[in-house]
Amino acid sequence: MEINETKTELCTIVGIIGRLDTTNYGLLEKKLKELIDNRQIRILVDCAKMDYVSSSGLRILLMTLKSITQASGKFILCNLQENIKEIFEISGFNSIFEIYPTQSEALKYF
Amino acid sequence: MTHYIHFSNPNSPEMIRELEAIPRFPGTCFFMDINKSTDIKYSGGLKDWGRKLNNTFNILLYTNHFQGNVVKGIGDEVMLYIPDDELKKKSSNNHYLGLLEDIFASLFIIKNHADPGMFLNCKVAIHYCTEVYNITFLRGAKDYYGSDIDLTARLMTKSFENRIVLSERFYGMVREDLSSLGVPENETCLTHVSDKFTFHFQGVPAPTDYRIIDVK
Repeated sequence: MEINETKTELCTIVGIIGRLDTTNYGLLEKKLKELIDNRQIRILVDCAKMDYVSSSGLRILLMTLKSITQASGKFILCNLQENIKEIFEISGFNSIFEIYPTQSEALKYF
Repeated sequence: MTHYIHFSNPNSPEMIRELEAIPRFPGTCFFMDINKSTDIKYSGGLKDWGRKLNNTFNILLYTNHFQGNVVKGIGDEVMLYIPDDELKKKSSNNHYLGLLEDIFASLFIIKNHADPGMFLNCKVAIHYCTEVYNITFLRGAKDYYGSDIDLTARLMTKSFENRIVLSERFYGMVREDLSSLGVPENETCLTHVSDKFTFHFQGVPAPTDYRIIDVK
């Protein structure tokens, strides 16, 4: 998995590329924690190139949502692939996360 | 394919030969129990109970791709068995560390989900089994027998809501994965693992070492 980061005036966009699973979720956890510690609490995660997420990856997203909500920030996801959408539905994540179909659509909500 | 054992002659020498020749299927056994589901069945009604059970089984089994490994389910309890040869063939999470991490993450999501009415909390026991046989005495049934399966069930008596009990043997397999995969321990759920406990379970010849992970 690779993570890229783009800063915009509205938020920080974090792109996840590849599989987010047991062997690498620590990298995403570290990256998101680093942003929150630096008070960058307006984060958009672009999942266009994320082709798999395990429960371990979901846990990191949930922990981040909790931290950012507590800090009165905004944590939004966009561009979920079909298989990821199904996992989000099963885990009830689609009802607790703000999710938009495209990055441009998501940026309107920051 | 589960080996069906059935002989009409109770003293059949063929039965003894067949039993002696049955191969072992080393692998990982999970027992999972959903807490308080019976209470909810009576207090919240069948719909509420059924919805929560559906959601909880989905996150435990479907999110983790375990649906093909269910050996049996009795109400709100499930036994999973993942033979080593099957685990190694998986395209992802084909290691013991992955199994543990995903179960830990599932319990975490259940406990910390923003909608507290969506799931029911669970308890889990995990053991790495070597003495295990993929046999059944009931036509058409799928089952695993063996002393290690019995031990996994015993370990379950040490588990509580939001707790994973893991045998020392399974813990050892997870630690081996840590080294071979090069994953730092402080980036895994092993940061929450307890010291080693020992208990002599009834019917088990020797004391068993185990550890616990409480999901916060």
